[in-house]
Amino acid sequence: MTNTINGIVDSDVMLVIGSNTTETHPIIGLRMLAAAKKGARLIVADPRRIMLCDRAELWLQQRPGTDSALINAMCHVILRDGLEDRKFIEERTENFAAFRESVADCTPQWAEKISNVPAGEIEKAARIFAQAERAGIYYTMGITQHTSGTDNVCALANLALITGNLGKAGAGLNPLRGQNNVQGASDMGCNPTFFPGYQRCDSPEARRKFAGIWGVELSDRPGLVATEMPDAILEGRLAGMWIMGENPVLSDPNSDHVRRALEKLEILVVQDIFLTETAELADVVLPAASFAEKEGTFTNTERRVQRVRRAVPPPGEARDDLSIINMVAARMLATGHGHSISMDPVFHTVPPLAPEIFAEITTCWPAMAGMSYERLEEGPLTWPCPTPDHPGTPILHVDGFPRGRALLSAITWQGPEELPDEEYPLVLTTGRVLYQYHTGTMTRRSRVLEDAAPGPYVEMNPDDARAAGVADGDEVRASSRRGSIVLPVRVTDRIQQGLVFIPFHYREAAANLLTNDALDPHCKIAEAKVCAVKIEKTVTEPAPLAL
Amino acid sequence: MPIRLLPSGFWLLIPLMSNVKLTIDGNEIIAEKGLTILEVARRSRIPIPTLCYVPGTVGDPACEICVVEIANHAECGLRSQLKTEGLFRSCATLALDGMEVLTSSEAVIAHRQERLALISQKHFGDCKAPCNLTCPGQINVQGYIAHIAMGQYEEALRLIMERNPVPFSVGRVCPRFCETRCRRILVDEPVSINHLKRFVADWCMNHEIDLKIPKERPTGKRIAVIGGGPAGLTAAFFLTRKGHDVTIFEAAPQLGGALRYGFPEYKIPKEVLDYEINSILRMGINIRLSQRWGTDFTLQDLKDMGFDATFIGIGAGVDLPLDIPCTENEHVYAATSFLRMVNLGKRPDMGRRAAVIGGNNIAMEVARSLVRLGVDEVTVIYPRSRIEMPANQRNIKEAEKEGVQFLLMASPVSICGVPEKNFRLKLDLIRMKLGEPDKRGKRDVIPIPDSTNSLSVDTVVTSLGQRAVAEPVVKGGELEAQLALTPRGMIQANPRSSQTSVDGVFAGGDAASGPKSVIQAVVSARRAADNIHAYVMQQPKAPAESRFNFTRGRSFDDVSLRNFDGIGVQLREKVPERPPETAIQDFDEVKLGFTEKMALREADRCLSCGCTAFDRCDLKRLDIEYKVNINKTGMGTVPHYPIDKTHPAITVDRNKCIFCRRCERVCQYDALTVSAQSVDEYGRPVGLEITFGDNCVSCGKCVDNCSTGALNKRSRIVPIQSEKVRDIRTTCPYCGTGCQMILKVKGQTVMEVTADPEVGPNYGDLCVKGRFGHNFIHHPDRLKRPLIRRQKGMPLEPVKWDEALEFMAQSFARIRGEKGPDALAGLSSARCTTEENYAFQKFFRAGIGTNNVDHCARY
Ligand code: SF4
Ligand code: SF4
Ligand code: SF4
Ligand code: FES
Repeated sequence: MTNTINGIVDSDVMLVIGSNTTETHPIIGLRMLAAAKKGARLIVADPRRIMLCDRAELWLQQRPGTDSALINAMCHVILRDGLEDRKFIEERTENFAAFRESVADCTPQWAEKISNVPAGEIEKAARIFAQAERAGIYYTMGITQHTSGTDNVCALANLALITGNLGKAGAGLNPLRGQNNVQGASDMGCNPTFFPGYQRCDSPEARRKFAGIWGVELSDRPGLVATEMPDAILEGRLAGMWIMGENPVLSDPNSDHVRRALEKLEILVVQDIFLTETAELADVVLPAASFAEKEGTFTNTERRVQRVRRAVPPPGEARDDLSIINMVAARMLATGHGHSISMDPVFHTVPPLAPEIFAEITTCWPAMAGMSYERLEEGPLTWPCPTPDHPGTPILHVDGFPRGRALLSAITWQGPEELPDEEYPLVLTTGRVLYQYHTGTMTRRSRVLEDAAPGPYVEMNPDDARAAGVADGDEVRASSRRGSIVLPVRVTDRIQQGLVFIPFHYREAAANLLTNDALDPHCKIAEAKVCAVKIEKTVTEPAPLAL
Repeated sequence: MPIRLLPSGFWLLIPLMSNVKLTIDGNEIIAEKGLTILEVARRSRIPIPTLCYVPGTVGDPACEICVVEIANHAECGLRSQLKTEGLFRSCATLALDGMEVLTSSEAVIAHRQERLALISQKHFGDCKAPCNLTCPGQINVQGYIAHIAMGQYEEALRLIMERNPVPFSVGRVCPRFCETRCRRILVDEPVSINHLKRFVADWCMNHEIDLKIPKERPTGKRIAVIGGGPAGLTAAFFLTRKGHDVTIFEAAPQLGGALRYGFPEYKIPKEVLDYEINSILRMGINIRLSQRWGTDFTLQDLKDMGFDATFIGIGAGVDLPLDIPCTENEHVYAATSFLRMVNLGKRPDMGRRAAVIGGNNIAMEVARSLVRLGVDEVTVIYPRSRIEMPANQRNIKEAEKEGVQFLLMASPVSICGVPEKNFRLKLDLIRMKLGEPDKRGKRDVIPIPDSTNSLSVDTVVTSLGQRAVAEPVVKGGELEAQLALTPRGMIQANPRSSQTSVDGVFAGGDAASGPKSVIQAVVSARRAADNIHAYVMQQPKAPAESRFNFTRGRSFDDVSLRNFDGIGVQLREKVPERPPETAIQDFDEVKLGFTEKMALREADRCLSCGCTAFDRCDLKRLDIEYKVNINKTGMGTVPHYPIDKTHPAITVDRNKCIFCRRCERVCQYDALTVSAQSVDEYGRPVGLEITFGDNCVSCGKCVDNCSTGALNKRSRIVPIQSEKVRDIRTTCPYCGTGCQMILKVKGQTVMEVTADPEVGPNYGDLCVKGRFGHNFIHHPDRLKRPLIRRQKGMPLEPVKWDEALEFMAQSFARIRGEKGPDALAGLSSARCTTEENYAFQKFFRAGIGTNNVDHCARY
């Protein structure tokens, strides 16, 4: 996020697109509701009638995969009617001419045809947004999990830039991170192209810097992104993997493909707190610690670095993940402190411990250079925080952009890779429910949560249900080109015609057996949010006669 | 209706002046205009109690706990609407210039007391469960049963060990005080509490659970413990936990005392005892075996060795003699020496017929041991009736089942006579009868003249009670000579301070109290440990816990049967035991213990009497603080409402609701209504309804703000009592908002999650996952050991870390060698910490030499 969570309350207009905020980020949702109560105008763009729609002034019910068409049309209207922030554009952006050119044809009527949102509503949304003093944009995976994910984000950035909504409170471009430490993992270079702190691995200068810190020469060969790994395995390029705390067999699109690939590895090491679907395939399973059993930091969606503190020791022989990495490193490389056994009788930690690692991190990335555990003890810090007396930076780009001027990008809308056809007439979109989280490893083992949302379902519009001959509660088979699952149907007009929704938390009907693993060409994110499916009533076998 | 007491025209003043100056309890305070007295006081850190207050709102009806006195209210233009002139609700009265506020004047205190008493009159429930209150050890019985019901055996045992370090033994031999008061008796039968305790102890032993009991930082103090029985072990355990360096001096070659040498193996198997003792010693305790006090060392020696304090827990192992002629015979034994011999594995010839003289618990063990030694006829001789025998009735029955006979109302007079042929001894007896009652109504027994009788036997064992020391003074040195004893031969120790007559020397357990149950020895030694801690640290002792308790009824007669509406009869599980015919053939354990299934079924029978809001109840806290004696002023006596369990996350007990309506006002989703058909003259509700709307998202904020246990988290079924709860501040593991949360940790268990209203980004808010999604931490499915698959196609099998790491390291090294570093890849996790992610990618980049490292943020 460029801005803060509590700043939401100060906004005049909120555009929430592709984010079911009250369910996926309930506390951020609360702030949105509070802002709405205070009089902020809320625009929701979502194919499903999510809870926020009830409080929205405007609900744009776009077809899945048409977001950038919608946004481009909004930009079109703003420029057409002269509602843009000229001063901001002149002083702080570049490439405006090309951008103006790119949206010249994106009329609301054009976008209506693509997105199904009435042109009048697009006009209205554009005006509400552009005329606000402070307008914030909020989005999640609904925007990014597409083959056009990068374009979608650029389109939103354009909208924020031309209306001058960056660098001030109650505004900004705000991706809401879905998991507790996506931000931290990205910051730390768990990414094939970047070292920690977004320093590119193909830059000789960065390589020299990290070679200096780590004391070894570093590879300049580009690495594989996660979504490319299954194919690399099947092609024999990858033979061993270590998966720490992830469950790709359930979370990745086209998961059958992922499973087949992982099974082909010579060695698969999975480190987790439960025997997940992925761990079941492993050759080595390392028992790890939950968040309550380790020291460290998480960085939230606001870039706010906050402490995680150990409350209890890990159960049995389980160890915290950092100690496991240290043990493996010591064993394989004779590095670190060289310990592979623990000196700590209760927590069994193996150094270097979190504070030491954190200190090392602050030496490799200027944005965190001013942080320390001592400072975090007093309260969280938001990066960039370059010096020990720097207070942190809750709102980005107040005085300018890192590259000087922000680039307006020319985006042409491209549809999703897989469209419905005669055989697979419906569009499937996936997501979360309030009570569950990700692949359910944790939530499904917490009684209240599991009781509240115990099983999978597919949401279907009444018209589609009638056409498919199914009624609320019926068991149906949902199939795509990649697989099929059986689950009950929920008939509701919260969802538009032609679209079905399945939460992806459930192993007994794993939505990702159906989804598409086609990748966004830029950031290699898979198109988990849109694919073509069909829904049929399952034929119940006649019960065998009782003797 | 919110009451706002404002002088007329006040609103006009606000824009003109921005500050007011007032005094609170004599302190001059300058505050922003427009704040209530309560807000001003809180900002100045002057405490004012509240019940119905939620910041930014005004309570209706008013609890009136926040009252203050405004000495010059007339001058301020205020008129009180409360009963006593001059008192005002600080939460609803604006602070005005020149005000003189008193927060704890006599009138204020009296008003608060009266209001609390009135509110408490309608509050119905149990603070603590009766089992908990009856257990001498004050063990959180309901709590560990709840853990068992959830399959959390390790947690259950840890909770027991908070107060009792010898659960294996106590779970086998306890007289079960708690079960006699179990509320379930009013439905069918008491919960089989003690067998449940034994079950968790055994389960943890069989699963090799390391309880990871934490110790406090070393204090540098050294403490000597004389005696390695239940009292000594208990004192050593608690003192070690407190960080002291403890050494146990034991006269026998092995630790255990009465547990080892008093209870035969069929009660406490030696291997179980060894395990129990080892789990205590694992805390890091020094032991000196075969060191007898008075012979091998003296109290002065201990001082000279540098011990800062000494605990005497030697038990009561000296038998009282049988005062009749001819007891100096090799076939006449005293109980404890007899049991010691049996427990050492000796099996001397006891003949065919034996008499046991005495009716205490030890006599029963003697009799049952004799049966096992092959004696055909074992007779217990006791001068009173069966009901008056000091032994536990359960023990008497068990002995009887194994064929032990009882000769009651009889007393031995001599063993000098010539026995019948083939017997070794002739025991002359006299019959007894009850005498006239004395002043206190107790009737002594007196011999019936000329009623002699005799019994020919081979062995006589006497069990007439024990003392701690044999002589009127303890042998040893000067300090021993100063050590005062009781007339009955025990070490004299103050029951509160555990102090003996010698400074720095403490005593507890049977050595001080005379023979009692194991749990009583544990309690006494635990108290002594607290006292010793305070003594060596020169700190005041922690104040005793308040005995304040709301109760549904003190005795069974007081308890309304309406409490049990809808609870069906389910009889207790029968613990499997060996039939007496085979049990008497050997010294193996008789009772086999519950299976897991039985334990789960039995744990389910518990009615969860005590309040799970025990640790956070504002009403109780204020009642205690204001010394409200609810036993006099009254409390609810019958349930008016059934308990409502229809909400997925929240249990509602309207009987405990005090109608403060805080819950309603904190809900940000407007999803909760608390209403009453009417309120009485004191603002108390009649016909209370608490309803959740469809828009409730189960965030649980209402529960965390409830003044009482009326709202409770369904998953939080273990009451938190006594031992302190640690608050760990951390970050939520779910979505990217990064809510700051507080984990409430007891022992090594995360009991619940709350949030601090002062800390962002969430300021006291949490979603349902944050507040309720933590059960997975202690889920039985957690991975607890490394697993490897030795070959594709084979199953995963548990191994030691060493082997798993070696397997992994070799495979990775081989692949890197054969195919190059890019044939390896790592996927890290957005759920792990920043430090872990950094170390992970560093391992791949710097260690393996590849950029093949990614995380799953794309999903
Ligand atoms: S029912 Fe449970 S809580 Fe109540 S007295 Fe019996 S064991 Fe204790
Ligand atoms: S659980 Fe949350 S949403 Fe439901 S009533 Fe309580 S505070 Fe309101
Ligand atoms: S349920 Fe709790 S918070 Fe709500 S009115 Fe009753 S006592 Fe007060
Ligand atoms: S009336 Fe002020 S806190 Fe209840």
